[in-house]
Amino acid sequence: MGATLTVAWREYASFFRSSIGWLVIALYLFLSGLWFAYDSITPGQPASMRALFSVSQWLLLIVAPAISMRLLSEELRSGTIEPLMTAPISDWHIVIGKYLAALAFLITMLLPTLIHVGVIELLASPDYGPILAGYLGLVFVGACYLAVGLFFSSLTRNQIVAFLSTLFFFMLLVFISSPNVAALVDEPFRSLLFGLSINLRIADFAKGVFDTSHAAFFLAFVVLFVVLSVVGVESRRWR
Amino acid sequence: MIEVDHAHKSFGKVHAVRGVSFSVPKGSVVGVLGPNGAGKSTTIRMITGTVPPTRGSVRVDGLDSIDQSLKVRRRLGYLPESNPLYPEMRVADFLAFRARLFGLSGKARKAGVDRAISRCWLDDVRSRRVGQLSKGYRQRVGLAAAMLHDPPVLILDEPTSGLDPAQIAETRQLIRELAGDHTMLIVSHILPEVEKSCDRLLIFARGRIQADGSADDLLRDLAQRQGFAVEVKAANGAPKTSMQAIAHIEQVESDPNGRSGDGWHALRVIVDKAAADPGAVIGGACRELGLTVRSLRPATATLEALYIRLVEQADKATAKVSEQRKPEGEAA
Repeated sequence: MGATLTVAWREYASFFRSSIGWLVIALYLFLSGLWFAYDSITPGQPASMRALFSVSQWLLLIVAPAISMRLLSEELRSGTIEPLMTAPISDWHIVIGKYLAALAFLITMLLPTLIHVGVIELLASPDYGPILAGYLGLVFVGACYLAVGLFFSSLTRNQIVAFLSTLFFFMLLVFISSPNVAALVDEPFRSLLFGLSINLRIADFAKGVFDTSHAAFFLAFVVLFVVLSVVGVESRRWR
Repeated sequence: MIEVDHAHKSFGKVHAVRGVSFSVPKGSVVGVLGPNGAGKSTTIRMITGTVPPTRGSVRVDGLDSIDQSLKVRRRLGYLPESNPLYPEMRVADFLAFRARLFGLSGKARKAGVDRAISRCWLDDVRSRRVGQLSKGYRQRVGLAAAMLHDPPVLILDEPTSGLDPAQIAETRQLIRELAGDHTMLIVSHILPEVEKSCDRLLIFARGRIQADGSADDLLRDLAQRQGFAVEVKAANGAPKTSMQAIAHIEQVESDPNGRSGDGWHALRVIVDKAAADPGAVIGGACRELGLTVRSLRPATATLEALYIRLVEQADKATAKVSEQRKPEGEAA
């Protein structure tokens, strides 16, 4: 645990010492704030943050891979992976530490958007249930993006390749699980494709529905890709 | 302390290390020499556990470097070849991070960091960012990180690369200080560096150890093999053939580098190992044959000459093998 947190803390701190960390935060807050102002603070609109959550889901598709792309790729490129792999810590410590750091950074990035909740509170009386569920959904979907991003980052020393692979992976997932495409195949494959859809699950969260099956899906998704990342790192020892 | 037993490592079809065996007893300082691509770094990585041997085994302090990797890593201080560091971190923070990875906490961590900082002369830069430091300082940070947890074994891959002469001298001084209570492996291709600081040398070429011994022993052996340069004048006959007949004289050949002509013969004479004083044997032979001697001196044996000779031999041997294999359509 100590070693995991040591790796995580170093990584988390390094986000704030790199320009990409601040750029990612600025980009996300600017675009999500713009959307919130345009869509939610309009007379006649319900006092909800649904617009922010639905646009954030797409913004995170770009932002999360930009956070995760450097996690292991940068260590591989600069060679710092070697001293890390010769320290008396297991590859699990390295990978889980890196993942926790990215997740903590993502949550840090979402925190300033709580201002929007305050703004809505000033103008109207919002229902806090859907807002809480919406934030939970964002963290879940972000956690999925980061896990896949971490995996691709364990395979390449090139950050751009890690970024694009992650983006491509999720675009493909969105495409094959979209209603139009999934409808082309027969049951039971259709249900399987719909089951893979992150959008459908996140839509429930945005509506304020907390479904434990969705939570279980996201958790399993994250665990799978963290394990694959460990395999990716470990394979360096055998190549 | 370190035992490498018939370790072999191949990456696909490339055999980086071909069955290397050596052992390093506790407290000794061993220099690892060889050209680029000779298998030095791969051997080091097998010891640190980052590259498992394809065949054979590596043990540190009796522990297998793969099966008991974490325990082995605790006993090793390692400075990797390119000395990779995190440029955005401050020196003291970086060292504290490394100390935490090695499980040092509280007072032990602070003491370890302070000791490493003062031993590697980093006091002036302890709160500077690593990326802003000169190459010499960065190298010292790498050294400090390797010795933080006071490991019994230190493995330094090119510890003085990129340093100016003054810094090289300081680093050598530090290595000499550390040598007292550490088992050390120093990888280098700077010959004077290992000649001065190591009790024993391993010379690698083409994935094998070509020579293993102290610098003095290796040089004595080389001097024996190179023999003596002798310039003689014979009243009659060829001195080359007549000298060959004398006891203890193993081989006589013309020395293309010597000054021949005008009745003088420049020869290279190799005396067999049984002769206690090879110079006296040659002198006696000349007297016996009635030769006039103009000069008699041992061929100069330097580490450079030895190194070049061994590397060339290894290259030739490999070339021969691939030559023989070619007709069978097999790539070397």
